[in-house]
Amino acid sequence: MSTLIIGFFIGCAFGAILYLGGATSYRRILGTLRLKDMWIIKLMGTAIGVGTLGVYLLDLGGLANMSIKPAYVWGVAIGGIVFGIGWAISGFCPGTCVVGASEGKKDAMFTLLGGLVGALLFSMAYPYIEKGLIQNANFGSITLESVLGVSGIYLAMAMSAGLLGLIFFVLKDRYE
Amino acid sequence: MERDYIISWKAAGISLGLLLILATALVKPLGVSTQFVVSDAVVAHKVAPKYAESNTYLSKYGEKQDWGIGYGWVLVLGMFVGGGITSALLRKRQPEQDKGSMPPMWQERFGDSMTRRYVAAFGGGVLLLFGARLAGGCTSGHMIAGVPQLAISSFIFAVTAFGAAILMAKFLYRSGPEA
Repeated sequence: MSTLIIGFFIGCAFGAILYLGGATSYRRILGTLRLKDMWIIKLMGTAIGVGTLGVYLLDLGGLANMSIKPAYVWGVAIGGIVFGIGWAISGFCPGTCVVGASEGKKDAMFTLLGGLVGALLFSMAYPYIEKGLIQNANFGSITLESVLGVSGIYLAMAMSAGLLGLIFFVLKDRYE
Repeated sequence: MERDYIISWKAAGISLGLLLILATALVKPLGVSTQFVVSDAVVAHKVAPKYAESNTYLSKYGEKQDWGIGYGWVLVLGMFVGGGITSALLRKRQPEQDKGSMPPMWQERFGDSMTRRYVAAFGGGVLLLFGARLAGGCTSGHMIAGVPQLAISSFIFAVTAFGAAILMAKFLYRSGPEA
């Protein structure tokens, strides 16, 4: 039960951050995807930079509840491409359409509805594509740590430093 | 120049990173797209129970005992509540161009038709979740939570999703307007 309460409050904070940070803004999303207004990539990169170091510090103390998604190359890559096209067309992703709907944006509500249909279509297609796209070329739950054989905390430190450095000191806020 | 944001990307990015760390310590990393299937499965088990049981994907979610509603689902419910409360309280601070259901950039490129905007939003949503479920995650599960775990699948997703989205956005706005 307490897990549910924790989940609810983490969700509340997540929704609030996405709203406050402008992640539900079409102007920001498309600005980033058009490589002009770098707001969203900077927001995400900062979160990833902070998160990577934090997660591997937790892991060092044995406190991280990791959940590594399996690398079935074809499914993940094709899924990423289909997702990316939908992202550019709608201007939302699965999380921001929920938050956008909560602020009363009707286009976000349509994306949310479309998402429920898309997930259902995928469920219906699943039996036909499971073998070719998900079981095929599936390398399991591999990470950079397991592939390179280097301790995760070193990789995390390098990646966090590189990413945050890039975002804070190299990338401009806008490109024309 | 008038301030065109509520909180900066720095503040939002750092808080989001810290929230991810908290979630990973307390329960498990963030994720959203699975809950679309869970919601579908809940309905499917009610409306077409035979089909829901026989479909290898749906039957994994929405078990009869708890209907699959757990940590992940209340998290998404929380997003709706947290976003709703915050937006109700801070509506005045939200930049004018970010309000409403018709983004000015879209309007300038594709015209005033609300129907056109909603059809695109709906169709985009279908592709989003079909793709996310095929890939096993979305912006939150794969990018925000997956990349920090250094998962290879999440790197593949981040590159292909951003790559396709950038090409599509460039194509959609090939004739302007300025962003």
